Amino acid sequence: MESEIQALLNQGAGRLLARASDSRSLSKEFIVPRIFAAVEKYLLRSDPNTPREEIAKFIDEMQADDLCLIIACERGDESAWTDLVERFTATVRSAARSASANEDAAEDLAQSIWAELYGLRVRKDGLPASKLAYYSGRGSLAGWLRAVVAQLAIDTFRKQSRLVQTEEDADLDRLARDTQITEGQAVFAGIPDPEESMSNRFAQSDMQQALSKSVQELAAEDRLLVKLYYFDNLRLREAGAVLGVHEATASRRLTRIQTDLRKRVAKILIDERGWTQAETERSFAEVAQHLDTDLEALLSKEGVS
Amino acid sequence: MKQEPNNEIDLLLRRLSRRQGAPTADGDLRIDSDHLDADELSLYAENGLPAVARARYTEHLADCSSCRKLVVQLSSSAGVVTAEETSRASEPSGLRKFFASLFSPMVLRYAAPALGLIVVAVIGFALLRPNEADTFVAQLERNKQSSPAAAAPEQPHAPTSGPQPQEKLISPGLTSETRPNRSKEESRPSAPSAAPSVSVTTDVKTDARTQKAEPQRTANAAPAQPAPKPAETTGEVRNFEEEAQKQKAQGRIAAAREGQREGAYDRTKGQDKRSDDVAAAAPAGAKAMESRRAGVGGATSILQRDNLEKDSDDAETRSVAGRRFRKQRGIWVDTAYNAETATVNLTRGSEQYRALVADEPAIKTIAEQLDGQIIVVWKGRAYRIR
Repeated sequence: MESEIQALLNQGAGRLLARASDSRSLSKEFIVPRIFAAVEKYLLRSDPNTPREEIAKFIDEMQADDLCLIIACERGDESAWTDLVERFTATVRSAARSASANEDAAEDLAQSIWAELYGLRVRKDGLPASKLAYYSGRGSLAGWLRAVVAQLAIDTFRKQSRLVQTEEDADLDRLARDTQITEGQAVFAGIPDPEESMSNRFAQSDMQQALSKSVQELAAEDRLLVKLYYFDNLRLREAGAVLGVHEATASRRLTRIQTDLRKRVAKILIDERGWTQAETERSFAEVAQHLDTDLEALLSKEGVS
Repeated sequence: MKQEPNNEIDLLLRRLSRRQGAPTADGDLRIDSDHLDADELSLYAENGLPAVARARYTEHLADCSSCRKLVVQLSSSAGVVTAEETSRASEPSGLRKFFASLFSPMVLRYAAPALGLIVVAVIGFALLRPNEADTFVAQLERNKQSSPAAAAPEQPHAPTSGPQPQEKLISPGLTSETRPNRSKEESRPSAPSAAPSVSVTTDVKTDARTQKAEPQRTANAAPAQPAPKPAETTGEVRNFEEEAQKQKAQGRIAAAREGQREGAYDRTKGQDKRSDDVAAAAPAGAKAMESRRAGVGGATSILQRDNLEKDSDDAETRSVAGRRFRKQRGIWVDTAYNAETATVNLTRGSEQYRALVADEPAIKTIAEQLDGQIIVVWKGRAYRIR
């Protein structure tokens, strides 16, 4: 099996070099380890018995020019570095600007990126240890650079704002406590309404728990859509783009998920909380009515149009 | 699928999201090694992962808001074209693309008015053309009527004979035709015997119409040409025939207008008369038709030649997004390109290409509509797109 994979890798490397418009005088021996790392990471780790056709197709869809450029840069090819900087300065700068509050911060971030890419540490073989090693060659180099910039921006922000994060953690803890349910406890993570009866509060908390559990039980892609749309406040078009589907498809999926969630919540309430069907239906209507009013009041209070 | 239950769940989910806090909350609680690295994030955003790996990362993203946030950011930056079942999966074939390009807004903007003009021209031609034949027949019939009218003064046709010279003003050919045709009819014993009786009958009907139409005709009549005198001999008849043809050719345009009105009521006359009249007028008509065909044929040949040239031009050139391209050695070259223009080489799908088309959507349109290599000049720079 290993020899078969090795043969596939060798052949794939040959095709990749042939496909590249500029192979940077690289030979297969430099390409094969990189290809193997990508194949192992994205195919063999999930399925060690991945068919050879799929491996070959995977290799053939790799970005030949970008990969050759990066490997040449790793090997200290100055002309490759020059090309890299020339071609992707705009991309890095644009990504840094998006992730920064101002131009100065963006400039600092961009400079940091180049330093990270070049590598300040030195490997055992004398070559710099840079982030370039983490580029698999499967996706576009520009996309990878944008991701590197975004991650570095987050790391930088975290370092600079540790105090703020501590306070946020405290808030999170409070929220976490608020959402925990023990028997007999009133559950209100939001603003408690003293006019509301205790029974309603219990009903709402039961529903919220059932809903939270139902969401967790959804298939990963469905759960991701729910999170993107409801928790991250994305538009359907944006959520669809993340999932790789059209807005209309995302909309249909969301409608299906909502129907599915309702059934799950009802089932949990009936099976686990001892509700009757009538109580469930009534509670849905009441909760929705209450929330509708709640939402309107919240929106008008916050001045949201 | 009920709408109301979905609204309830929708509201409940919104409340759940508010209660469960800011997007970065749960992501911060996880260790870094669980998060997606830059390569995984970018591949996910670009939809470049194999299905199994994607499912694994989807599982993580569904529960990790920080990675989710990054993917959303990268996805919007990458401008990934979503794989809708009706778009990328069912990419139109070459023929469909061709037809789609025919109906693109740029083409329709010019094609629609041109098509409208063509339709109007065809309709106009169709309307006018038959009327000329009717006019011709009407002229012949009138000529026939005027000959028995002269022989029988008591006939009601007599008043018509008075305005006849004015009638003839419609087409000088009418005037000239009358006499030779009358002579022809006189030389053919069978024809005149049948004609008068029919003429009398129809002339009664036409009298009123003729009188009605007379003022209009008078107003619209072409300048009259002196009618040749009645011919007694065959030789003179021939001369008059030639004269009649000439005059007919000159006055055909004016007659056409009148013929539209005349043809409408002339058709109500006995159809059996028409065959004789047409037969009588056949030699003159045939010559006229021949001359017309010759002219049309010549025009057609010129038109056909022009169309062929145009087709050959079209095969080599195309206009896309306001730019004109000519195919040279398999490459679509912008007509504005010259070798001295600074040229940037791009590959479709590359980062540079994506950045360019994000700023210049028209170039994307060009690259999509033209296959193979393209050289397009845009804002002073040439782009060779492979």
